[in-house]
Amino acid sequence: MEPREAARVLAQTQADARRSLDFRAPWVSLVAAVVVLAGFGIVWLDVRNQHPFTGPSPASLVFFYGLIALRIATVIYAYARARTGVSGHSVKVQRDEAVVMSGVLLVCYLALIGIANSGSHHGAGFYWSLFLNGTLIALAAVWAGRCAIHKRWHEVALTVPVALIAALAAIAGPRGMWLVNGVGLCVLLLANAAIGTWQRRATRTHTVRTGA
Amino acid sequence: MTAEALDPLIHVPARLQIMAALATLPDGDQLSFKRLQDMLELTPGNLITHLRKLEEAGYLATSKTGSGPASRTSVALTHDGRHALEIYATTLRGLLNGVSAGPAASGSHLDRHGASPG
Repeated sequence: MEPREAARVLAQTQADARRSLDFRAPWVSLVAAVVVLAGFGIVWLDVRNQHPFTGPSPASLVFFYGLIALRIATVIYAYARARTGVSGHSVKVQRDEAVVMSGVLLVCYLALIGIANSGSHHGAGFYWSLFLNGTLIALAAVWAGRCAIHKRWHEVALTVPVALIAALAAIAGPRGMWLVNGVGLCVLLLANAAIGTWQRRATRTHTVRTGA
Repeated sequence: MTAEALDPLIHVPARLQIMAALATLPDGDQLSFKRLQDMLELTPGNLITHLRKLEEAGYLATSKTGSGPASRTSVALTHDGRHALEIYATTLRGLLNGVSAGPAASGSHLDRHGASPG
């Protein structure tokens, strides 16, 4: 085997293996971008003319949660497909992360229930903003911290803007927050999908060119 | 420097593929025999032959869990194996720079991918 051919085999195999084992494929981000835009968008269309704000209708919430379920299903599918046959430390770490994030979500809901039952009176906009933006900020902050500890800077760069978008959405008010979150998260996920696709293409093109 | 400077145990297409694929896993992770076979599109017999040679050299470790039809064999690079692949990639880069005849042979993709197989 010629050195150049060996170099091509080495680079190509590693690029293929990384792509095969990575469950954060661009198409997963693309699906998520469509899901957040449609999910938040339908609720925004539902509430944008509410004066005063009373909250999304049950029909739009069913649609919203249905899309969230679709998003979770695509992640589980992509994870199962990419990580089949892989065992060891990283699998345990990922399971722990899933437990931690589920715990954060649970704490957010319990805190919201606690605030609602504390006797203080707030409008529907307050509770919905706390529910939506508060949960997004808490999830993003915990995930960013976790990724920073493990030096996964790409994920930190993706997660910190989620918290910023949610903070911006909180300022936008109970009607505008659905639009700000929908558009903001959609743009972020599209950018992530584009960067992922570009990185994969760049690796493939470079490998083919060098091995030619 | 000639191609003979490359580790002969790794410098075989199938074994280089096995080492390269396993090197993409983080330390402490293993890959099942079946998944590795699917990834590299090698026949079971061919894969077993190459795995044995690499295992005898101490470059990878296999472990078996379960018994009977439900048993599963997993493979992982050892510390020595990872180190051997790093040396192989470095030597390869040196060779490519030495024989460089144009931009295609600059070895720059190894700078990005081959030098840090982990």
